Amino acid sequence: MNDLYRASEPVTFELNGETVTRSVPAATPLLDLLREDGQCTSVRPGCRIGRCGACNVLMDGQAMPACLIMAWQLPGRRIETVEGLGGDPDFLRVRQALVEESALQCGYCTPGFALSLVSGLRERRQGNPVDLGEAIAGNLCRCTGYGGLKRAVEKHLSPCSSTSSDGGTVSKKQISGEPE
Amino acid sequence: MSSDTPGRIVTLDADAPDGGCPSPELYRRIEGRLGYPTDLFDTPGLLQGAILRSEHAHARLLRVDTSRARTMPGVRAVVTADDVPGLNRFGIVVRDQPVFCEDRVRYEGDAIAAVAADTLAQARAALAAIEVDYEPLSLVTDATTAEQQVPLHEGGNLLTQETFHRGDPEQAFAACAVVVEHDYRTPRQMHAFMETEGGIAIPDDAVGVHFRVGCQSGHRDAEQLADILALAPGQVTVEAMATGGAFGGKDELTVQPAAGILALKTGCPVMIHLDRFESCRAGMKRHPVTVRMTTGCDADGRLLAHRVEAVLDTGAYASLGPAVLENFLDHATAPLYRIGAYSVSGRLVYTNNGVCGAFRGFGGNQATFAVESQLDALARELNLCPRELRRINLRSVDEPGSRHQPVRWTAPPVEVLRQAQASPLWSPEKGSRGRWLTGTGMAMGAQGNGLGDGLPDAGGGRISLSREGRVRVEFGFSDYGQSIGEAITHSVCEVLGCQGSDVEVMLGHSRGPDSGPTSASRSSVLVHGVLNRMLPQWMEAVRRQAAELTGYPGDDLAHGPGGVFHQGRQVLSYRELAEHGRREAMVADASQDFPVAPDQDHPVGRYLQLQIATVARVRVDRLTGRVRVTDLHHITAAGRVIYPPGYLGQIEGAAVMGLGMTLTEDMPAEDGRLRRDNLDQYLIPTFHDAPAQRVDVLDGTPENDPFPVRGVGELGIEAVAPAITAAIEAATGVRIRTLPVEPGVLLTAIHAREVVS
Amino acid sequence: MQSDVTVQPEVAGRGGVRVLRPEFPREAVAMARRFGGTYIAGASWLQPVWERRQSRPSYLVALDPGWPGFRGIEQDEGGLTIGALTTLDELASHPLVHEHLPGLGTLLDQVAGPGVRRLGTVGGNLCAGGDLSALFLALDARLHLVGHHDPKGESLVVWDAADAGFDLIQSVTLPDASPWRIAVDKLGHRERFSPTRATVASVHDGDRLRLAVSGEGGPGRLSISEAALNDGHSLSGADRIHILDTELEFRGWRDPTLRLAIQRMVDYLLAEVGHVL
Ligand SMILES: Cc1cc2nc3c(=O)[nH]c(=O)nc-3n(C[C@H](O)[C@H](O)[C@H](O)COP(=O)(O)OP(=O)(O)OC[C@H]3O[C@@H](n4cnc5c(N)ncnc54)[C@H](O)[C@@H]3O)c2cc1C
Ligand code: FES
Ligand code: FES
Repeated sequence: MNDLYRASEPVTFELNGETVTRSVPAATPLLDLLREDGQCTSVRPGCRIGRCGACNVLMDGQAMPACLIMAWQLPGRRIETVEGLGGDPDFLRVRQALVEESALQCGYCTPGFALSLVSGLRERRQGNPVDLGEAIAGNLCRCTGYGGLKRAVEKHLSPCSSTSSDGGTVSKKQISGEPE
Repeated sequence: MSSDTPGRIVTLDADAPDGGCPSPELYRRIEGRLGYPTDLFDTPGLLQGAILRSEHAHARLLRVDTSRARTMPGVRAVVTADDVPGLNRFGIVVRDQPVFCEDRVRYEGDAIAAVAADTLAQARAALAAIEVDYEPLSLVTDATTAEQQVPLHEGGNLLTQETFHRGDPEQAFAACAVVVEHDYRTPRQMHAFMETEGGIAIPDDAVGVHFRVGCQSGHRDAEQLADILALAPGQVTVEAMATGGAFGGKDELTVQPAAGILALKTGCPVMIHLDRFESCRAGMKRHPVTVRMTTGCDADGRLLAHRVEAVLDTGAYASLGPAVLENFLDHATAPLYRIGAYSVSGRLVYTNNGVCGAFRGFGGNQATFAVESQLDALARELNLCPRELRRINLRSVDEPGSRHQPVRWTAPPVEVLRQAQASPLWSPEKGSRGRWLTGTGMAMGAQGNGLGDGLPDAGGGRISLSREGRVRVEFGFSDYGQSIGEAITHSVCEVLGCQGSDVEVMLGHSRGPDSGPTSASRSSVLVHGVLNRMLPQWMEAVRRQAAELTGYPGDDLAHGPGGVFHQGRQVLSYRELAEHGRREAMVADASQDFPVAPDQDHPVGRYLQLQIATVARVRVDRLTGRVRVTDLHHITAAGRVIYPPGYLGQIEGAAVMGLGMTLTEDMPAEDGRLRRDNLDQYLIPTFHDAPAQRVDVLDGTPENDPFPVRGVGELGIEAVAPAITAAIEAATGVRIRTLPVEPGVLLTAIHAREVVS
Repeated sequence: MQSDVTVQPEVAGRGGVRVLRPEFPREAVAMARRFGGTYIAGASWLQPVWERRQSRPSYLVALDPGWPGFRGIEQDEGGLTIGALTTLDELASHPLVHEHLPGLGTLLDQVAGPGVRRLGTVGGNLCAGGDLSALFLALDARLHLVGHHDPKGESLVVWDAADAGFDLIQSVTLPDASPWRIAVDKLGHRERFSPTRATVASVHDGDRLRLAVSGEGGPGRLSISEAALNDGHSLSGADRIHILDTELEFRGWRDPTLRLAIQRMVDYLLAEVGHVL
């Protein structure tokens, strides 16, 4: 009942590790498809024209704006959102860096930034010398003025920063367990 | 403080000083587990609503025919002005804005009707099927001549005018050695919060409506909504949810009236979420200001006379315009500086150019831009260093404020200036020639906390023990990421000696305590004051319960981590207390009026004052006139820092917002049509536009000061624009007085100077 | 060019959009003609346009990067051939590009953002008159259009996207530019992720100079200015400025201060490629 657009064609793709099939019009943006049933509301509309990064997802491992991906383009693709990255080492590292530097305020933009950074770290693993500042050039944040993000990138996520690659920095502020 | 003691200076970083845990809230936000009001798709039976906006900026409404729309697939309700159960008006200061227009539209975003349907596509399709006949009326587009145009409201287009006087300016001007007069313009800036306006309205059993929305004042909104919906105040509940940014732009009602009416009509929950196109068109903006300032000083640079004539464009409706005008004028009196005589006046006018209301800085930063530019202009005329001119004129902490009111600073203004003067940014940048012209400039700003001018301004809170045994602290403030929850937790932990995990903060519920609006940098001050009152009461009540349960004398018991202690040993955990004690006896609440100057029957201006000096370094592209701000160094004097990452984030965030207003952000109106409709046209700064920033906190507040904590939510934007334009002048010799800086104008001036030399 | 059947060309909601999936390029051309369809590559240029207008084409013709020659970059004696469906991101990170066009990576950092560059394609960028147009125009790029038989392809300078009908671009060839000097500069409204105000490219092949622009005034080679510069030993500074300004204005660059900026960018880029004024 909450679908934003009337159903029509079934599309099958992988979402956060599970195979899903949705019946929606071919031109439905992935953004709506993910939000409509309340499943992946971390994917958020800030502009619907590719200009803010709040709707980022990882498609086949790379960050892209979900408002510009249409349903018909999805078959066979692998989509990830922060809801599905709980155990991902790159995501945990990014998460810790953002927390350490208080790189967020309202947090509306944050999952989008996190995915751009995860995408950058993954690319780096494949041997590409990715500048993480460039990786978030397509994400807008209105609250922070990017100060915390700068510190997070420079102090914790640069290739030579002291952080380990698999679980984030060990620091006085590291918290154990998953706060609920 | 009574003497000019310099205070302590500390450079902020994001590390919490006590090594405390970051709030779990941060994790929830990063992992996407925090539901924002526009994410609530899992609400059972949710319908989607959409609002029909006027196609004309000014027209008579001849006919609104919804008959076809009502028969469209999926449509559950179509509502217009006829369906507003109560008062078809809202507005924080003046209720002049219709929920749905009856016979006239006054701006392009004016609401005419709304639809609820099963899907958004259906709702949109139904909107398109509503037939509206307009008879266009002549437009009021130029604020400076608005008063001579066709009146948009009864009583004409002048909404308010106000003048502040001091001494005899005419006489004082006659005595000046130098007088400078300039016109300044500031843009119609958009809040551009990342979460556009939205939320849901849920009809509840008590035939009332429960709102879960992004807003800034649950209690005030609940009052307005009750009037609109013709419900008793108790039937409307507003839950001001954690929202994706507000900055003043969610202070006024947004989608709530339409969503509430649709919810009552359909008996189902209704979500309305404006998309960015609609938000740009219909949402609040910052008041554009056109101001002429005339300022004079003697041959030594002492300010003698100051005249201000301003026009603020409030657009089609008042919203908080009158309060913005007051704050603008307050800042236009140049609160930091001694000026013998002034006449500061402003007019707030209606036009068909969108609607303007509250926005971080609240008119103050627009005034400061002009005031600080005037000082630089005088310094140039006198061939004096601009810092020296400021030093000569800055007030001392013992002097009254610019409106002759008592004021409380947290450090001497000259000390703030001295720190700014010592900034490393003044040393020339290395190796930067070629196409880049570099320059450094500075500006200062003062800002008061609170609604000001004796407006009713109280706020309260409550503290209790939850069923699960956590210390529950409730305030009515909204959370949009300004770290207010963290600051409250911090303060509570400090007093109770407990851990962050012992405390739970609940914000923004209209059924909870009324704290007043989350605006005017007032919440930090009130939180501090209210906690100071209610914590001792509450601790006392808890000790009494613990004494009953344990048999130890209450006086021998103390609060500590996780519970109550006797001689260093925990005797009861909060959980045990909650289980076995009487929870209703362990509640305390308090409220207080916002601090105003003592012994004043009619307080004017603002008592608690903050200061900032911002030093900017820029690079100007000689080829194109484009400006890059490479560094911003702020010196703030705003009382004690409770939660450093929050403080830092507020200053940095506000400064970059000010940078946007200075360089790229404007929502120009042409024939009543706002010319930018999304984030590809309205350009806010990106990561790569953000400069390196440093925040130094100067604090000379005495230990026993009753108001050691001030709100810094707006301070960072105060002096950014004039600091940047001063730096541009240092780089190029060109002073820009119209914001945003138009690269073409700068380029033409640079080019002309090159041709001459 | 005309479509063979009349269909309702535009629909309001996304629900009415049909996506046609041709199996091979010629079928794509036939379908586009038959249904008045719109080719869709990365859709990153098209979708913002649709959202703004609240109106979409009734038929999309999906282009398939799996078609031979449509994606990837190859080198032969004619230069570099880039498949039209190669994404901007693939272009930026390709070793052949690093080798032959070292400045392109810096330009591409300023084209859209990384997410959009993973969707947007080279062909789409040229059709939309995007940032690549200026550089590719200055490089004398040639387009290979499906169904056109000239093996050398069609000159990008001559081809007009606005009047291309159902031309389907398979690939674009850049001449071997390794010995050439190339300079490009983009003027946006902000440091990154900005629509172009003006992108200016200047190329010197050791013998002749080429200049092109794209942005607010549209893409184009500045051939008159170029000719004047190439044989203009006697050209005075004032003449040069006048010629360039007039040519830009004629091409649709209405804002005089933007023309002034381009003028100065051009001077700077000429120095970069070693053209002595
Ligand atoms: C947020 C954002 C920022 C952007 N920033 C920039 C920028 O800075 N600079 C810039 O240049 N562009 C920018 N763009 C525009 C766009 O992303 C790029 O130009 C991109 O390269 C377009 O490619 P596409 O494959 O997405 O094109 P599409 O949108 O798929 O198509 C564009 C046009 O080309 C036609 N077309 C596409 N492929 C072919 C083909 N092979 N043969 C014939 N016709 C074809 C289509 O029919 C359509 O008319 C931006 C877009 C967005 C959303
Ligand atoms: S909503 Fe997709 S980028 Fe803004
Ligand atoms: S934290 Fe609010 S937009 Fe980034």
